[in-house]
Amino acid sequence: MDIGGLLKELLLEDKVLIHFDFMNGFFDINRSIVLSWGVIAVLTLLILFLTSNMKVHDISTKQAVAELIVEKLRGITYGMLGDEGLRYRDYMVVVLVFIGASNLVGLFGQTPPTMDLNVTAALSLMSIVLVEAAGIKKKGTRKWLKSFAEPMAIITPMNILELAIRPLSLCMRLFGNIIGATVIMELLKMVVPIIVPAAFSLYFDIFDGLIQAYVFVFLTSLYIKEAVE
Amino acid sequence: MDLTAIGAAIAAFTGIGAGVGIGIATSKAVDAVARQPEADGKIMKLLLLGCALAEATAIYGFVVSIMILFT
Repeated sequence: MDIGGLLKELLLEDKVLIHFDFMNGFFDINRSIVLSWGVIAVLTLLILFLTSNMKVHDISTKQAVAELIVEKLRGITYGMLGDEGLRYRDYMVVVLVFIGASNLVGLFGQTPPTMDLNVTAALSLMSIVLVEAAGIKKKGTRKWLKSFAEPMAIITPMNILELAIRPLSLCMRLFGNIIGATVIMELLKMVVPIIVPAAFSLYFDIFDGLIQAYVFVFLTSLYIKEAVE
Repeated sequence: MDLTAIGAAIAAFTGIGAGVGIGIATSKAVDAVARQPEADGKIMKLLLLGCALAEATAIYGFVVSIMILFT
């Protein structure tokens, strides 16, 4: 068995899917981008299907299902954000659904878009910008700057470092978990090709992916809650 | 002599800390649920958060060992 070769193929594969020549240079579109477009397209079609033909009275089963999903998801993020961060609830729902759906792409034999460091880096940068913007909006610029020196002036460097550490840890946690799950699944498929991978796929592809989406949203909500306090 | 594999193995030792941490967190959560079964929703949420934070150290070790092996 050639484990090293398999790992090399999985980790160092060519990420570029579409290649354009553009004037003097070139323009590459990565595989992960195309896959996340696919995820977005599927989610959009689902939303369009569920929200078409809505009524106030005599609602159909489809509309009842759509309302149930929205209520549940909003309930989850409301529980994390509380009343102070109510306005960020819907963004959190969108991130939760997108990361959850991206992690489930592994079920269809594709590499999940979140296995690319660029995708998770973009998501965590969006999170940290939102956290700081929420802090500025709530406290005003002066108070926001002052909040770096809380609770003591001596830990100001730590608070400034946290600006970089938080997105880095969010990004690395999601990326590391997904790449770990994918590598383990590939190794299992190589050692035992039948039956056994199906049971492990239940944990590594479905449970782990959804938990990581939840954890990402949970931590971002925690930071927002801390920022708007 | 090529020592990259040894470096990757040392990076994988981060798993010890994460394993102990998750074990302690889970045992405390089981205690808490046994004492107050009605609070299991809240305990579950906190347990998930704690496990994710404890697991993150192991993931950092994993990422570091992958970087050592494949760059």
